[in-house]
Amino acid sequence: MHNAERWADRTTIHLPATAGAAVKLLGELGSEGRLLAGGTWLMRAPMTSGHYIALAGIAELRQIEIGQDRLRIGAGASHAELALALDGLDDLKGLADAAGGAANPAIRRRATVGGNLCTTAFAASDLASALLAAEAEVTLITPAGTLRQELAIYLDWRRTSAAQHHLLQHVEVSRRAGRRLCHARLPLRRAGDYPVAMVSLAAGSDRQGRLADVVVAVGAVESQARRWPALERTLTGQLPCRSAAITCAQANLCQFAGREGPEVPGWYRQQVLPELVARAVAQWAKAGGQE
Amino acid sequence: MNLKTPFPDPVFARRDAFDKLRGRTRYTVDEACQGHLQAYLLRADVASGEILRLDVSAARKMPGVRAVVTASDAPHRFGIGVADQRLFATGRVRYKGEPLAAIAADTLEQAKAAALAVDVVIRPLPAVFDMAGALASGAPLVHPDWATHEVLLETRGAGRGGNLAWESQVRRGDVDAAFSRPDVTIVESAFRVGRQIHMQLEPRAAIASYADGRLHLIASTQAPWTVKNVTARALGLSPARVRVTAPAVGGGFGAKYGCTIEPYAAALALACGKSVALVPSRAEEMLSCPCRENADILIRSAVTRDGRIAGREAVVLMDCGAYGGEQIYLTTMTAHTLGSSYRLEAVRLVSRAVYTNTAPNGAFRACNGVYNIFALESHTDEICQAIGMDPVEFRRRNVLGDGDLGSTGQVFQGDVLGPMLEKMSQMRSKGATLPSDDGRLYGRATTVGTWFVFVGPSAATVNLNPDGSATLVTAGVEIGQGTMMQSLPQIVAAELGLSPCDVVVHQADTDAAGFDVGVGGGRTTVSLGAAAVAACTEIRQKLLALAARLLQAPASELSLSQGRIDRVGHPGTGMTLASLAQEAMQITGPISGSGAFTRPGVAAMDGCAAGHFLEAVDIPVFAVHDCDVAVDPATGQVEVLRYRVVQDVGRALNPSAIHGQIQGGVVQGLGYALHEEVTLAEDGAFRQAGFGSYRIPLAQDVVPVEIELHEGAPSIGPWGAKGAGEVPILNVGAAIACAVSRAIGVRVQELPLTPPHVLALLQGRKPALQLHHPQDWPARPGTNPPHSTAAVSVAG
Amino acid sequence: MIGQLWINGEWCRHDADPAAPLHRVLRENLGLTGSKDVCGEGFCGACLVQLDGAPIAACLVPVALAEGAQIVTIEGLDQDPVAQSLMAAMEAEDAVQCGMCFPGMVMTLTHLLKTCPTTDREKVKRALAGNICRCTGYERIVSAACRAAKDLVAADAQKVVA
Repeated sequence: MHNAERWADRTTIHLPATAGAAVKLLGELGSEGRLLAGGTWLMRAPMTSGHYIALAGIAELRQIEIGQDRLRIGAGASHAELALALDGLDDLKGLADAAGGAANPAIRRRATVGGNLCTTAFAASDLASALLAAEAEVTLITPAGTLRQELAIYLDWRRTSAAQHHLLQHVEVSRRAGRRLCHARLPLRRAGDYPVAMVSLAAGSDRQGRLADVVVAVGAVESQARRWPALERTLTGQLPCRSAAITCAQANLCQFAGREGPEVPGWYRQQVLPELVARAVAQWAKAGGQE
Repeated sequence: MNLKTPFPDPVFARRDAFDKLRGRTRYTVDEACQGHLQAYLLRADVASGEILRLDVSAARKMPGVRAVVTASDAPHRFGIGVADQRLFATGRVRYKGEPLAAIAADTLEQAKAAALAVDVVIRPLPAVFDMAGALASGAPLVHPDWATHEVLLETRGAGRGGNLAWESQVRRGDVDAAFSRPDVTIVESAFRVGRQIHMQLEPRAAIASYADGRLHLIASTQAPWTVKNVTARALGLSPARVRVTAPAVGGGFGAKYGCTIEPYAAALALACGKSVALVPSRAEEMLSCPCRENADILIRSAVTRDGRIAGREAVVLMDCGAYGGEQIYLTTMTAHTLGSSYRLEAVRLVSRAVYTNTAPNGAFRACNGVYNIFALESHTDEICQAIGMDPVEFRRRNVLGDGDLGSTGQVFQGDVLGPMLEKMSQMRSKGATLPSDDGRLYGRATTVGTWFVFVGPSAATVNLNPDGSATLVTAGVEIGQGTMMQSLPQIVAAELGLSPCDVVVHQADTDAAGFDVGVGGGRTTVSLGAAAVAACTEIRQKLLALAARLLQAPASELSLSQGRIDRVGHPGTGMTLASLAQEAMQITGPISGSGAFTRPGVAAMDGCAAGHFLEAVDIPVFAVHDCDVAVDPATGQVEVLRYRVVQDVGRALNPSAIHGQIQGGVVQGLGYALHEEVTLAEDGAFRQAGFGSYRIPLAQDVVPVEIELHEGAPSIGPWGAKGAGEVPILNVGAAIACAVSRAIGVRVQELPLTPPHVLALLQGRKPALQLHHPQDWPARPGTNPPHSTAAVSVAG
Repeated sequence: MIGQLWINGEWCRHDADPAAPLHRVLRENLGLTGSKDVCGEGFCGACLVQLDGAPIAACLVPVALAEGAQIVTIEGLDQDPVAQSLMAAMEAEDAVQCGMCFPGMVMTLTHLLKTCPTTDREKVKRALAGNICRCTGYERIVSAACRAAKDLVAADAQKVVA
């Protein structure tokens, strides 16, 4: 075997030690360079020759800091690391479920939070939906300096040409007393495939135990996760019961047009949303002892 | 063989498990990945077109390239019923992905780079992707030259013409009279199923080398002799110049029953004289997979008020894709699957294989049976609803019993399905009641099914070695089913009075072993087992004659047991088999035996079957399945709560192995019934391209199957055995469909019952399936399709 | 360029492209064919290897990113007592058929038995969400894992007594 000839054009993988060095490289390589996080998305297609800037060696990106009122997740943390770190935090259970339910165990050990949020081609990111509901903010390093954005804005911004040379550094979520985040996902099998639809819900409660300050995000239904403002308004002030959840969701269902795909037709993604809202609300009630 | 004769050592563990667990087993793909040239196939990127230019001269000059072969290197046609296929598209492309050229290079990347350098121009032509379209008048013909194709298998009265690759018919009794009786209810049903992909973990793979004027193929195949013969035919060689060996195979399920990729590696090895490995990527494996075919089934029955089936007729369309292949042969099976299980006073069946501009379909575990049983059992439930009869009671009254006629007039022996239904009722009554108050919709169903062992010719040689061990030489392959590891050494051991541990099983090698049809159709234990029994009989005769001389006792008073030969009733008085084998060296020379088996042939009723390759079945196999499901009305998700199987095994030679086959086969059926979906894109290619989009069941999607083996049904198999690996998948689609239909109160006409499909049924989004064969009732042969005016009656 | 990997307790040199997937380098350059090339997308689990102690889909790891990690392939699990117990249980349960998925199954379940010694059928099935078997219908594999868990607990108890 002539191994030396195995790959006609060899690839270069750079392993910078700091986020700053990575961004510098990104600037230098221009259109030649691509970021490589966990690799679980890029490696599915044969990698083209060129330069890859691997983030695996950047320790600062892997940190997960859990404070009283704030959670900071390094973009290089894996899904598995995140799920483990959040284990037992009732208010963020939905985020732990999103991180711990995506794909399968071996992929969760490799796929990173940052990679999941940066990949524009991936509509079924559990984390994008859960973090949207958590009203997360992202911190980006760009050649022009550090930039902070709401995740909702970032998801649009990452598709623009301005986003070309940025590095997602970390994601921050504020923790507010009495607020709980839940995540309901619908894979076609019990697990192991990407959900065809998902609903994330964050809310507090008023004195009567009704939903307050509701935030709802929907993932996988359209090409990008987004919030569901009309439902947020309708759900606010409702008792956390199944029938209310379904009624409210049904009333606002027309705001989503399901994405067609080989796995399910578009209408299906839309039609299962009321059930997913009901499941998310049920989880929320259960976590608050209101079963 | 009397069932009372105990079969020794029914508990015998497989000897390949230790190495397989440790990753030590060398599959063909493991041999292929080092030390060989790597091959790549350039495939057409349109479904139908005329090849205007195919110039490989630039590709030949690319780095690392050692050989490029094209249509001119393999001009010969081959096929199963009809020789309609060549190795490479020749002049015309008939499906997207059809090979145009094969390239061998030092590395796979180099071969792929060279493929990009091939100068190819194809003028697109009109294409047809569905069977209704293919049979419509004026449809573009997939094979405009169909009339010139050589017919390879002789049958009586087959139809062919245009896009109709093959038509077979069954006619028994006066069906028209039955349907015009005043006292019958007529129930008509339509069903449609998509394709199923095997997704065996080891892709098809072949390594070809050429030395001393002969080709050697190491192949991941279920049928070494088919690979040998088809490769020889495609390349215009004498079969004697092709040797095929088969190491452990990493799953087949039918994907490796035909000869598909091996000749490409062979052609490249011939061209450059070096060893060439061809291993498709998963995406290539899927796009060229010889799937279980998609099918349309129209069936109607005339049933009396007391539930007798006065008449039944059906039309089954089977998509063969661009080439006839297995489907031509499989038209035969409709008579024995859709036409079986029930007593029919009159029956008329038409089974058609139809050409389309899609990838050729092939064989898949319980070919043709899986969807025909789905159709038959769903239709049966629709009948029960129409006449107001309990579905289990209807089945009890109508299943085939001793002396009843099958569709082609074959006489069935023994009451098998009836007692099996009884066993199933008992199993059910023992089960705990399931909770059903969680808002989900609950349903259950019991279904019956008939399959048969596809027997066919097999050869076996057994050598009794001087150490008293035995070596079994056959062309049988271990594809995971366990036959080569368990039942065959068990059979040889039982015949020769050895421990199965002392029976060596030679890996398949067409240079060492005589002909065998291949691993498929539940035939290995039966056919190779029967051949092995015959070989052992010869050995026994030699041993007994020799021992009679040495022990001074009549042969009739000697018995072989526990590695010894002794006088009956006097253990320890004789000698060990090892010492007898050594004595033989001086007296007769080494002892061996050879044996053969072929189907004895069961009679059909004269004139009932036309265009059939098999008019009656030698060993029917029956199955009764029962399941409970819960359907989530909000998502359409189906959960299988319990699954029960009563399976006719003749005799269980290794119950643990059979249970393993049933669990695995049922789960593969659950995939077919619930998850596994192939849809075609606008260009006729599959939209599913990997394990991500083609969803097969995972651990959390399955339940432990409750199993009862039904022993004692008549069988000509060795020790009364029947094949047990094929049939477990047979009824699963049927059982799930019937249970879901009852749960949701809506007719189920299509599989798979994916969540969107079920939700569409629940929400009334899915219009009833209309199969447009307006001219099909009555299902008379020859009245259609449009090209049948040109249909020929094939010689025979 | 020569790459170096620490595999099963020894250094292995190869000259594959840095972006080549680890499982192909193991198979094609180093002859470690126990890691199977089945789906190439991380769905099937047939190529799993341990990277720093946890099972990872080798098909998704560019070989350059495996440098410096402790890699253990199925070939290297042979002497691991937990894996041995599991493999013995697989044989006892008659779980193996074609065998292609089993190296990956052993990888996943060995890790599960080590990190979650008191396992049950539900946990085992959840752990297997990324391990596809097309032959067996899984249940015996699950039974084997549960049997191994019991055997290991019993063996531990004996050690304590001793």
